[in-house]
Amino acid sequence: MSLNRSFFVPTQSFFHSRNPLTKLTFVFTMIALAFFTLPWMAPALILPIFVMGFIGKVQKQYLNVIAKLILPTITFMFIMQSVFLPDGPTILFSIWRFDVSLETVRSAFLTVSRIFVMISSFTLLLLTTHPSELMSDLTRRGLPGQFAYVIISTLQILPQMQAKAQTIINAQRSRGLDTQSSFIRRAGSLIPLVGPLVFGSLVEVEERAIAIEARGFTSTHAKTSLHDVPDTSVDKAIRWLLVALVIFTLILKLWPS
Amino acid sequence: MAIIDLQNVTYKYPLTDAPALKSVNLQVHEGEFVAVIGPNGAGKSTLCYTIAGFVPHFFKGELTGSVEVAGSESSKSNLHEWVLNVGLAFQNPFNQISGAKYTVFEEIAFGLENIGVPREEMKSRVEDALKLTGISDLADRSPYSLSGGQQQRVALTSILVMHPKVLVLDEPTSQMDPIGTREVFGVIRKLSEQGMTVVMVEHKVEWIAEFADKVVALHDGSVLLEGNPQAVLTSDLLTDKGFGISRYTSAARKAKELGMWKKDKLPVTLDEAVEGFSLTPNPSPQRRGE
Repeated sequence: MSLNRSFFVPTQSFFHSRNPLTKLTFVFTMIALAFFTLPWMAPALILPIFVMGFIGKVQKQYLNVIAKLILPTITFMFIMQSVFLPDGPTILFSIWRFDVSLETVRSAFLTVSRIFVMISSFTLLLLTTHPSELMSDLTRRGLPGQFAYVIISTLQILPQMQAKAQTIINAQRSRGLDTQSSFIRRAGSLIPLVGPLVFGSLVEVEERAIAIEARGFTSTHAKTSLHDVPDTSVDKAIRWLLVALVIFTLILKLWPS
Repeated sequence: MAIIDLQNVTYKYPLTDAPALKSVNLQVHEGEFVAVIGPNGAGKSTLCYTIAGFVPHFFKGELTGSVEVAGSESSKSNLHEWVLNVGLAFQNPFNQISGAKYTVFEEIAFGLENIGVPREEMKSRVEDALKLTGISDLADRSPYSLSGGQQQRVALTSILVMHPKVLVLDEPTSQMDPIGTREVFGVIRKLSEQGMTVVMVEHKVEWIAEFADKVVALHDGSVLLEGNPQAVLTSDLLTDKGFGISRYTSAARKAKELGMWKKDKLPVTLDEAVEGFSLTPNPSPQRRGE
């Protein structure tokens, strides 16, 4: 069981020292540019975003995500879309009954570059932002505390549930539960796991609710935050610039028509 | 004046027929350290929840009688105001970790963030609390990477840091080793001497005898005995009703039947037992294992 419960890479970089809202704005700007503005935008963003992984000094983890998550996903999507989308007039080659045309390859390329930009920018956000910082900044800006709690505790509790499921499986196995034979029998053997895991979790939820209530969770005082999350003028400037960029490209897209 | 005042409190959980507490009367004075003992199902945890305001505000159900803590009446108060006066830590440390924090330091600051303590004050209060319970060295660890006993200390610290007037503890040392237990009892004793009122459910009777001012024995939802630890913990009633009692008390009681225990009072702790047994006609102070 991994004890590391966030993607965050603790180091110093231009990206790390930006306010979480700035990085969030960056993510949504990238998505807006890639999906809703000019069609050449998404492919054009691939290289800049890739370079940003190095500026943020998280290239090792970022390349890892690219290799394990992004590349397999987009390769699969690219092949499927190229082969199965309705063909255009320019047939490049045929595989069995399916024709691959220049138009479908183009459209598949556009889709995968959009996916690449989206996942990459989220990855950069997660790698360079500590979850507590993100949440305390958003709470300070008016996100309801309960909402922030739900998000951040889910991130932490999932590995806990996983570990607990493993404990229950081991306990059941030590009492003779079969977990290693045919698929059907193994699927059947999951049933005794569900009861303890689900009901146990419900009891835990009650206790946890008491525990956080005892620590003033529903207090009507304005909450404060342990972490001071700086919001510099550079951050504000970057955010306005990003917003302006989105507006500008949207205008470019809409202008000629 | 009593800081905790329970008058004729009867409480039934929702969807149950038998009351968990039956006509309980309990007065605790400011700065008093009260230990609560009782067999399983005696209503110890329910008593804790009642003083801490979770009965009836959180569990709902049916409460009659009056619960007054620090001058305010439970039925006329809100839970989120109530918890500012009364801190509660309970047995299972794992479920007391908020799950929203990545280090022990942040975890302990969680309560202070909720009640809006300014940042600088928050930091110094967390540092003081960590020092008090002796876990400063855990400050940067993830709360989930700790052992059960360490997590219990974190749970206790996260309540202490809120400076409650009344501290309610439901078996706070159940997962600790003897050294840890002694340290925690020592800390709680010190706080009680500084004026904090403590109500603690605990099975370790020898520790209670050494540290508590008063013992309340609960049985089947009502108060069976109440009084100074020595008198309550050595009462014959406890053994009849299935309470866990000190092995020194059992040994001395056997010895008394055989005419080997000459004192009136039965012992609860090792020291009392040693003192009593040395009154026998042939005092050879060679104790094994010492």
